[in-house]
Amino acid sequence: MTALDVVGVSKVFRRRRQEVTALDSVDLHVDTGELVCLVGASGCGKSTMLSIIGGLDEATTGKVLVDGELVVGPGADRGMVFQGYSLYPWKTVADNISFGLEVARWPKAKRAERVRELLGVVGLTDFSDALPKELSGGMKQRVAIARALAPEPDVLLLDEPFGALDAQTKRHLQDFLLTVWRSLGVTILMVTHDVDEAIYLSSRIYVMSARPGRIAEEVDVPFGQSRGPLIKRDPRFLDLRDELNDLIG
Amino acid sequence: METTASVHDSLAERAADTPGAQDKAAIAVRGRRQASLLRIRGELGLGWKIGLGALGVVAFLSVWAVKAAMMHKRSVLPTPAATWSALLDLKSAGILTTDLWASLQRVLIGYSISVVIGVVVGVAIGTFASVEAFFEAQIGFLRYIPATALTPVFLLLLGLDEAPKIWLIIVGTVFYNILMTADVARAVPRELLNASYTLGAGRITVLRRVILRHSAPGIIDVARINLAAAWLMLVVAEILAAKQGLAYQVVRAQRFRAVDKMFAILLVFGLIGLASDVLLRWLRNLSSPWARP
Repeated sequence: MTALDVVGVSKVFRRRRQEVTALDSVDLHVDTGELVCLVGASGCGKSTMLSIIGGLDEATTGKVLVDGELVVGPGADRGMVFQGYSLYPWKTVADNISFGLEVARWPKAKRAERVRELLGVVGLTDFSDALPKELSGGMKQRVAIARALAPEPDVLLLDEPFGALDAQTKRHLQDFLLTVWRSLGVTILMVTHDVDEAIYLSSRIYVMSARPGRIAEEVDVPFGQSRGPLIKRDPRFLDLRDELNDLIG
Repeated sequence: METTASVHDSLAERAADTPGAQDKAAIAVRGRRQASLLRIRGELGLGWKIGLGALGVVAFLSVWAVKAAMMHKRSVLPTPAATWSALLDLKSAGILTTDLWASLQRVLIGYSISVVIGVVVGVAIGTFASVEAFFEAQIGFLRYIPATALTPVFLLLLGLDEAPKIWLIIVGTVFYNILMTADVARAVPRELLNASYTLGAGRITVLRRVILRHSAPGIIDVARINLAAAWLMLVVAEILAAKQGLAYQVVRAQRFRAVDKMFAILLVFGLIGLASDVLLRWLRNLSSPWARP
């Protein structure tokens, strides 16, 4: 079943009397429970695409549907995680995760239970009372993911979530994301410029070309559910990587 | 002082690697050795901080004392000791309490109103482009009219009571409060607002629980910085028309050539400023420990 459907979305910016087409009739879809990546060079419009899906930006033409319903603005049904963590610096880890639940008026006991559950999922139970400034980058991003997951979104949108992390932390968080995806069965659309990351994580990849941003190719990743560090040495992984890098240019 | 510091440095170095003096001669040295006390953006130990602070105060007081002794005959500059005893006299005469309270009250009322207007209008300007467009031109114009030039207007309009003094304090500070608070509200990261929207928050929630909360320490800082302007306006108002107040007492002391009294009141101004500064810094750190540098 299709959870997310993007139909013919274009985005045109007007800059100094000049029209810049950032997105040119983009079509894509993500099925329920799928983890899909959108890869492209920087400036190709992939983040703009994600913002439009999140309802933070408006498409010039075209539409975005979530479970068949038209997106007109942001909402908790499309949880988002950004590269810069963007946690509330005055709130503890637990209160950060709880924010979306408070906004949705969950009863206090249910809220506490959900926060406890998510702290366990992201492995930060011992840090529930810490402030964001006391956490490392990797921990901050885990809190941000837990916060976005808390109100039980239909789709999780990740915008270069591991872009600011060092290589080792990045690998840890990629495996962490796979674990979360498998155990909670969430639907995920992730934007990244890192081809290896896209192949490692997703079941399907959309490759975007730049200026104007277009879907250049849709690629199925042949590794199914059984993923692990070993697939990075699989010859198919290496072939796919070369193919995608050529496409991005 | 720098030499002592570098001696300290090399002592520390010697303590760090035991072979010591002989090696020093044998091993060539690379790099520019960092100064200790005058290092650019250097950190200072607590002992040094307190010591240098005390030294500064002592230096100031000695220059004052020497200067006062030199000008003794003309009696325009009282000694620190004379100022201090004049302060005690003022206190026992009750002038300090009544006049200090009168001035304090004016500043508290006027400046509180100014801060409230500053927060409401400033946050609105920093948040909504429409509000900014509405206010930009008029505030840009009004803030360049020296508030002190309005004193006669206020006296004419509002008489000699408390009202013109309070109005003067408001007008003299409110534009700074508005514009600086607007900057504080603008500094809330857009991604934080976007994250809030995607967590289901509406505009009111974002305004109240994200923008205002994020701006709180910045707003307290703005209030602290502009408080000095409030006292400035108070003095202008009291010099022109008042029967009570600290600045009124300065003018009165001038009439009687009681320079020691004048200086004692200046001392009071300084102490109030210092106290409010410390208080507001404390309030900022108490309310927003997350924003502590």
